[in-house]
Amino acid sequence: MDMHATKKKLGIKEKYAHMTRGLDWETSYQPMDKVFPQATFEGIKIHDWDKWEDPFRLTMDSYWKYQAEKERKLYAVLDAFAQNNGHLGLTDARYLNAIKLFLTGISPLEYVAHRGFAAAGRNFPGVGPRVACLMQSVDEMRHAQTQIHALSNYNKHYDGFHDFKHMLERVWYLSVPKSFFDDAFSAGPFEYMIAIGFSFEYVLTNLLFVPFMSGAAYNGDMATVTFGFSAQSDEARHMTLGLECIKFMLEQDPDNLPIVQKWIDKWAWRGVRVLTLVAMMMDYMLPKRVMSWKEAWEIYFEQNGGALFADLARYGITMPECLKQCSIDKEHIGHQAWATFYQYGGAAAFHTWMPSDDEMDWLSAKYPNTFDKYYRARFTHWRDEAEKGNRFYSNTLPMLCQVCQIPMLFTEPDDPTTICYRESDYDGEKYHTCSDGCKHIFDNEPQKYIQAWLPVHQIYQGNCFPEGTDPTVEGFDPLAKVLEWYHFDNGHDNLDFEGSRDQANFAAWRGMATKNT
Amino acid sequence: MSYELTIEPLGHTIEVEDGQTILDAALRAGIYLPHACCHGLCATCKVQVVDGEVDHGEASTFALMDFEREEGKTLACCARLECDTVIEAEIDEDPDAENLPVEDYVGEVVRIEALTPTIRGIWLKLDRPMHFQAGQYTNLEVAAVGGQSRAFSLASPPQQSDVVELNVRIVPGGQVTTWLHENLKVGEALKLSGPYGRFFVKKSANVPLIFMAGGSGLSSPKSMIEDLLNDGCELPMTLIYGQRSQAELYYHAEFWALAAKHANFNYVPTLSHEPEGSDWNGARGFVHEAAKAHFNNDFRGHKAYLCGPPAMIEACISTLMQGRLFERDIYMEKFFSAADASQQLKSPLFKNI
Repeated sequence: MDMHATKKKLGIKEKYAHMTRGLDWETSYQPMDKVFPQATFEGIKIHDWDKWEDPFRLTMDSYWKYQAEKERKLYAVLDAFAQNNGHLGLTDARYLNAIKLFLTGISPLEYVAHRGFAAAGRNFPGVGPRVACLMQSVDEMRHAQTQIHALSNYNKHYDGFHDFKHMLERVWYLSVPKSFFDDAFSAGPFEYMIAIGFSFEYVLTNLLFVPFMSGAAYNGDMATVTFGFSAQSDEARHMTLGLECIKFMLEQDPDNLPIVQKWIDKWAWRGVRVLTLVAMMMDYMLPKRVMSWKEAWEIYFEQNGGALFADLARYGITMPECLKQCSIDKEHIGHQAWATFYQYGGAAAFHTWMPSDDEMDWLSAKYPNTFDKYYRARFTHWRDEAEKGNRFYSNTLPMLCQVCQIPMLFTEPDDPTTICYRESDYDGEKYHTCSDGCKHIFDNEPQKYIQAWLPVHQIYQGNCFPEGTDPTVEGFDPLAKVLEWYHFDNGHDNLDFEGSRDQANFAAWRGMATKNT
Repeated sequence: MSYELTIEPLGHTIEVEDGQTILDAALRAGIYLPHACCHGLCATCKVQVVDGEVDHGEASTFALMDFEREEGKTLACCARLECDTVIEAEIDEDPDAENLPVEDYVGEVVRIEALTPTIRGIWLKLDRPMHFQAGQYTNLEVAAVGGQSRAFSLASPPQQSDVVELNVRIVPGGQVTTWLHENLKVGEALKLSGPYGRFFVKKSANVPLIFMAGGSGLSSPKSMIEDLLNDGCELPMTLIYGQRSQAELYYHAEFWALAAKHANFNYVPTLSHEPEGSDWNGARGFVHEAAKAHFNNDFRGHKAYLCGPPAMIEACISTLMQGRLFERDIYMEKFFSAADASQQLKSPLFKNI
């Protein structure tokens, strides 16, 4: 009689390995380096793609099921929020401006991230990172969609939500996040993974997501909070991918270390500059504050990021030099950015305002070293002038940094009363940057950054008017024409919150919802 | 009323008490299941129920989705059995883990020896042999100080299973170690349980070994090396062993003797605070420095086993990694205390080191 020997069962991990093993092949009628033309030019050396450890081990089948259930839960909340006029439960209509900034500045980036991960996946010769990039690419697409859906309800009632995609490619302050992603997308696949997968999704994501999602929770925006919950489990996965990627590069070859270090230095600073918009949002735009930008930086970067860099030191990675400046900047950037937007409030697709006395006291308490000393007097003066009917709007155009594209609004690290200007010469031309960090980035790759599409330069060159505009006619108003080209509804989307249509409508509708007259 | 739980892919079957969770039962049986929060929120301990019936307990609806419940997934930290059950867990099948059950023993003190001014060797004759893997530890209970227990690695090799050796360093102000140093007498009996821990040699990898030990961390490496040599292992193995001074360099002569007898065993002692001009002619400096010099900063192709104070471990990990040996080839014992968890902010870059 034959004995039936029971074979030892495969573990879940082994099963996944067997299922995904051998999905790749060597090409025959085209050489591999032609099929993967971007695999080597960055200088990263990979010897064994099989050493990539897939951090997810997720099949498409279970991915669909998991996401489908999450989205059912999300859309049930969005429907309920819309049907019950959830927007009238917001703390204050000023809050809307924070999510206008999110919809125009962040949501389109989720879409660009989707494209970027798809491209990176296409260009990796290894099957492990290719599958991981595919999954994240699909996630990013979903995030763009669900964010747009979560915020679309506000478009029915309020100004400034109507044409975010058109605006992203044109508006001066939106070129800050847009150029950040364009810079990453136009790099090689390995740099893209350090830029977005590691620096952005791991090191800085908490500083972007937590303030917006907690801000939503504190200000009654149930739809956005629920989006945050649904995205949270994906973000955990994305963070793992970024970590796996950096470990993989560093372990594959010692020559990769200086290249990775250079990218971390660059992308940490690029990310920090983009987060200036978050700093201003936290300190000025949320009617009910969560915490100050300074506090967020201390918790999410100085503590958590410090622990990460302590671990990375084992590989020989050091904390980017430029980040040391952030401990000084954290006391200033929110105030400086808001002051700039307040002055250019005629050219922004959201409303601006000066803080109330209570809010100024909160700022003094959160920024005891800087707010009263450097900013309070200026803000009080602007507020007093506005009350007298002299609301100040700057009608000039600011100079932009050639790298981060933020107006030159930051001050010298050792002197908060002097604007910081740096300049570099390249090929007979002068280029201006806002900081040592951005200058350093420019000087490393001038050929790349001289191609920057700088909105202010473009306006001066006459490239930002609607077709058929004749700038020679009498009474030509260049700003009005630029806003028209931006698809801004001039007089409704922009200017001060005080006296805005949003303010009036919110007050009227909330009155109707709470009173019988 | 208890039920039987079979855990795949190991194929081990264990008893689970009424009301006991799957995770608790598995851990007590010496089977490590991945887990983290232990109260149904993080989903790290998600397992597949292949056969049988479980109650999901307080598992969160976000951590364990409805469709997953329908597919037979459960969270081990909350799940309780309703009949005999088979689960499949995502266990890194470790071909070198023997998954030995923890049992209680009584040991009679048969010998006490001062190994250094602060470390004492204690030999216990057990009521029956303990089956353990070299590198594992026991929990020793001291009735005289309120039945408190402390973890001590087994310093003797597993071939010697009836009399086990523990090395105890006196911790200033520590109740248990002070009592063991000052009051314990030959002939007394102590209760202990074991073997615990996942720190053992990955024999199946069959690659050269590096042991790095310092302070009172010599026990596990000593047991591991003696075990390998007893078994006739012929792979190159190197012990880098650091102390402050010659007076603290216990078992120095014994390791020289082993190195003389076994050509594949290299012994590299190093002293960090030996007075200048003493008769010491070996290496000076810390363990990681001696290792870097000995291996010429290239640790590739090895597996490394680390045991010692936290600062030594941290320095050794950095040295190994910068000499191209990474997490998958570095092993250490992790003793967790509540204080560790709250004190240190750790990044998720590394899981095991």
